[in-house]
Amino acid sequence: MSSKTWYRSLAELENSTEFLELMHREFPKAASEFPKGVSRRRWLQLMGASLILGGAAGCRFEQDTLAPAATRPANRIPGKPKFYNTSFEIAGVAQALRATSYDGRPIKLDGNPDYAAVGGASTSYAQGTTLELYDPDRGRTPTQLQDRSAIARTWVDVDTFLAESAKGWSGSQGAELSVLAEPTSSPTIARLRTELQKRFPKATWFEHTAVDQSNSLRGAELAFGEVLRPQFDLSAAKVVVTIDCDLFGNHPDALQLIRQYSAGRAPAEGKMIRLYSVECEFTQAGMMADHRLGLRPSEIAGFLASVEAALSEDSIHEPAKSATYPQKVFAALVDDLRKHPGQSVIAVGPAQPAAVHALAHRINSQLQNIGKTVTFVRETNTTVNGSLADFVSHAQAGTCQELLILGGNPAYNAPADIDFAASIKSIPNRMHLSLAPNETSDLCNWFLSQSHPLECWSDCRLSDGTYGLGQPLIAPLFESRSTIEVLSSLLGLKVDGLNQVRRTAIEIDSGLKADKEWKRVVHSGFLADSAASTVSPKIKAFDGPQANDTWKAVAEVKNGDLELVFSNNSSVFDGRFANNAWLQELPHPLTKLTWGNAAVMSPKTAAALGVKDEDLVQLQVGKGKVEIPAYILPGQATGTVSVAIGYGRKKAGLVGGDTANDIAPVGVNVSPLRTSQTLHSVKGLKVTQTGRTQKLSATQDHYAIDKIGLEGIHERIGDLVREANLDEFLHHPDFAQHKVHHPPLESPWKEHSYDGHAWGMAIDLNKCIGCNACMIACQSENNVPVVGAEQVQQNREMHWLRVDRYFSGDPEQPTVITQPVTCHHCENAPCEQVCPVAATVHSDEGLNDMAYNRCIGTRYCGNNCPYKVRRFNFLDYRGELPGTNQDLTHLVLNPEVTVRSRGVMEKCTYCVQRIQNTRITASNKGRAIGANEIQSACQQVCPAQAIVFGDLNNPESAVAKAHADSRAYAMLEELNVKPRTKYLARIRNPHPWLASDQDEHDHGHSTPAHAMKTQDHRCGQEAHV
Amino acid sequence: MHFSFPRWTNRFILVCLGTLAVGGLYVGAVIYAATAPETLNVGHEPKQPIPFSHKLHAGQLKLDCRYCHNTVDKAAHAAVPPSATCGNCHSGADSKGNVPYSSVRSESLLLTPLRQSLANQDPILWKRVHDLPDYVYFDHSAHVNRGVGCVSCHDRVDQMDVVSQAKTLSMTFCLDCHRNPEPHLRPLDKVTDLAWVPETSAEEVGKKIKEDLGIRPRTNCSTCHR
Repeated sequence: MSSKTWYRSLAELENSTEFLELMHREFPKAASEFPKGVSRRRWLQLMGASLILGGAAGCRFEQDTLAPAATRPANRIPGKPKFYNTSFEIAGVAQALRATSYDGRPIKLDGNPDYAAVGGASTSYAQGTTLELYDPDRGRTPTQLQDRSAIARTWVDVDTFLAESAKGWSGSQGAELSVLAEPTSSPTIARLRTELQKRFPKATWFEHTAVDQSNSLRGAELAFGEVLRPQFDLSAAKVVVTIDCDLFGNHPDALQLIRQYSAGRAPAEGKMIRLYSVECEFTQAGMMADHRLGLRPSEIAGFLASVEAALSEDSIHEPAKSATYPQKVFAALVDDLRKHPGQSVIAVGPAQPAAVHALAHRINSQLQNIGKTVTFVRETNTTVNGSLADFVSHAQAGTCQELLILGGNPAYNAPADIDFAASIKSIPNRMHLSLAPNETSDLCNWFLSQSHPLECWSDCRLSDGTYGLGQPLIAPLFESRSTIEVLSSLLGLKVDGLNQVRRTAIEIDSGLKADKEWKRVVHSGFLADSAASTVSPKIKAFDGPQANDTWKAVAEVKNGDLELVFSNNSSVFDGRFANNAWLQELPHPLTKLTWGNAAVMSPKTAAALGVKDEDLVQLQVGKGKVEIPAYILPGQATGTVSVAIGYGRKKAGLVGGDTANDIAPVGVNVSPLRTSQTLHSVKGLKVTQTGRTQKLSATQDHYAIDKIGLEGIHERIGDLVREANLDEFLHHPDFAQHKVHHPPLESPWKEHSYDGHAWGMAIDLNKCIGCNACMIACQSENNVPVVGAEQVQQNREMHWLRVDRYFSGDPEQPTVITQPVTCHHCENAPCEQVCPVAATVHSDEGLNDMAYNRCIGTRYCGNNCPYKVRRFNFLDYRGELPGTNQDLTHLVLNPEVTVRSRGVMEKCTYCVQRIQNTRITASNKGRAIGANEIQSACQQVCPAQAIVFGDLNNPESAVAKAHADSRAYAMLEELNVKPRTKYLARIRNPHPWLASDQDEHDHGHSTPAHAMKTQDHRCGQEAHV
Repeated sequence: MHFSFPRWTNRFILVCLGTLAVGGLYVGAVIYAATAPETLNVGHEPKQPIPFSHKLHAGQLKLDCRYCHNTVDKAAHAAVPPSATCGNCHSGADSKGNVPYSSVRSESLLLTPLRQSLANQDPILWKRVHDLPDYVYFDHSAHVNRGVGCVSCHDRVDQMDVVSQAKTLSMTFCLDCHRNPEPHLRPLDKVTDLAWVPETSAEEVGKKIKEDLGIRPRTNCSTCHR
């Protein structure tokens, strides 16, 4: 029994009145209350299909029409999904993907399993990209604004317009033309840009992104004298130190780093990386860290410089008991680095200045890590481009007559000191190419509708430099063109994306002239063996940051001298996903916030400022002011506040906000506080109370029961999420199975034998990084509806899979554990026993089946479920929304899964559609189902490979092996529900100097709660499970 | 003063009660009969854009079912054939006005929609006859690869000029067979032979096939509902 206290939120820890009130009702508001007003429901209804099929055909269901293709394409079987490999950039990161296409419409995106570095994993952004394709707010045609009225144009008009304009530039060599693009790794766009500069030598090209990664490149330049990109190999590392760096979150290589890290945390195999995180805001790397130190961004340089200084000393001693927490972590970190030369990694995040990156390179070099755990590749995109600031001064100079903005949204996310809107007013022709009209389109007189990456040919460089190829899966749904096609038109070339991309590909590998080789690359989605070669640079002398002592003291909170951090790790990224309902409703891994951002601060900071959760506070930096609700998060560095960018969009669409049409923005735009010098963090923040409050839609305290239930939760969290330190594990490998003791579990009735297949799941808490990709993969696979902010506030989110996260320890420097929870498919399922209509019953393979058309919505099953994983359709979340195209929003639905309507209970099915389809395929071929042939959607997406699914009766299957692992335990096993999902306990690997600092774990009977439980066993027979 | 029914009206009480009881039973019976799958589903016979006769093609000409419904053993859907399949025999004149020598009834007015479809590549909009509710996931391939004949659900389509639904295709219909599959199984090479009858008893033949193919029909909710 662990003596650790765990808590889900501070409200719960402190038993605040709000929390008690929340608890008193099973659902915070009466369950049948209908939300008021249409606008409140607008996004609930965005995604879909009303199931009411009209009674037109009398009592018989509607007459279906079958429209077979006049000529069926070769190898096309109607109703059978096809898979295509493709690669393109999502949120600025090129990913190797595999798209599922159902009768010609893409319905799901996953990682390309053939790309070994990532192996089938993908991010939540990639999952959400499918929904973007069918966004009803997408631009339908090119539009020209003339005399304040928007006139729909064709692409022929655009071509004519561009050709006419180009004629006028021939004398001036294109000095009138400026292009403002997003940074991209696409070799074809780079080639077309070169051609553009050949044709119009005086044309100017600028790049803008809200998420600036340049510090890393400039750091390498400082340290080595050339522009290099560091790449980490965690599989060769034993000690990993992240310095304000979210290796597992917004790092471009996150997927493969997670994979390497989780492979390196296999205690039974003797592999156990130790992870240190020194950071300001809580990141996913920090969640996984064995030792996490929250520091202000400005203290981090001094900390790292002190590490360098201490490494050059002869030895480091164990810190005194009285030392501060930062000092203890510092000593342990230095000791570990010293002991693991060539086996450590120091990674610095983009928010830190270039000098800190350079310093990390120097330490890595000193520790002989370079060439082993840290390698470098030359940055391919080294053309020096003007920034947004350069563009603005160019525009103000007045020579620019024609501006082409390729994607992006500078009008929304330009830093506060750059007046982008004013600067382009004087340019006569302003064209914006964008998927959907946004704030920037509003400033332009031409809107050009952009093709979705699933609709066009494109290319990219994957993070290791591999050439990736994007192929269209569907003809453009609207009158749209890709960036490559628009640039072709600008150059007066034939508008043919395929031809342009292939020309680039042939330049890269002349073998692709052969159709056979080209088809091979199109088929695999990337060009094999085209990764960039690594370089071994030599460090040169430079002046790094100075070591200092400011980080040693426990931080004080001084209003007016706080530090504000801008984070981009929310599910809307830089705002580009603001109109994506799946991503808006995806809870943040730490704060569990959906539908909005907040001023995140630690409990100590909040107490010093007198701020409570959901207080609307005013953040002031210099002249910039923003009002935003506060959110108290344990672990945010003391004296800092962090806010997510990408919210408060005024022209995003029906989901993300459209003020012109009375649709309020989601969250708060923090751009007024952000200048081009302070893109990542800024000092001198003042927080003032406004006296008002604003509701936040966080999912953290949901499914509270009552006071007894709450006590039960507190008492049990340590039983729900079991963990131990490495040495305890090595001493007691089966500690997790001895955490809860109970009498022998006997069933009152005869149990099934399950001699065929027995489906089961195992989730390894030691690997789970809490990234939430599983939640959205499940949503995409299983047609899970979105409910909207108000409904989330009423506990009505519909995610079949949730990721619980618990804190423990000092709220200023806590540790975290995450736990994905889905339906456990109990063999003695409590839900089945209370269903009055047998709508949920057991299959002979152990699945807890839901028959939606039988369900009458009593919700007894939800009440009786100990895991609280059942979700009820309180409203018709797929009802019609006037003004949207239902036929369009339908297209994202997975036809293999029933769409549920109002009044029906639903829950995780273990992806039964995948089980059944695999079974049919196998039996048609007269073979058995392979040991690991079936993957659930959550398993498929998981970059950490934490989830395994399969047949427990097949000893060869990964899940059977996982269930037999010594760390395996069943949650709430003492209830005798016999869950089919088991968890593998988390193992922490603290430095010996700090192990005693952490709460002690033991396998025993020490705590009163536990003593009470064991006393109940009157017969005294303890069964060890 | 109150009005009282005269005593002689008492004899009607029984009659009224009887009428109510009989009426109730009648209404119940009508609702039961009217909503039964036999009433609602059987006999559905929509008019097709081309009066294609299965009796002619499958019955007299003995075309195999899989000549047109060629995905039936590969996929859930026994896809309605593309116009190109019809065009193999019924193509019209090509762009030069030449009609292939093998073309059958190339000038029939009834085949106009087909020739238009072949020329424009627009689909022919057929009406679905056998339609299951959307929450049912039936898979043709799982059945025809296990010895369930077409005739079991579609009846003697080879004798129908206009196809109509002959079986209820209700949940009971499915479950009857899943619980007791033997009488409905046949050798795999006879699956599309609608006229086939077992030489010995159907039970015996079916039992052997069930053993040979390892058929264990499942009756869980998730077998059909996902």
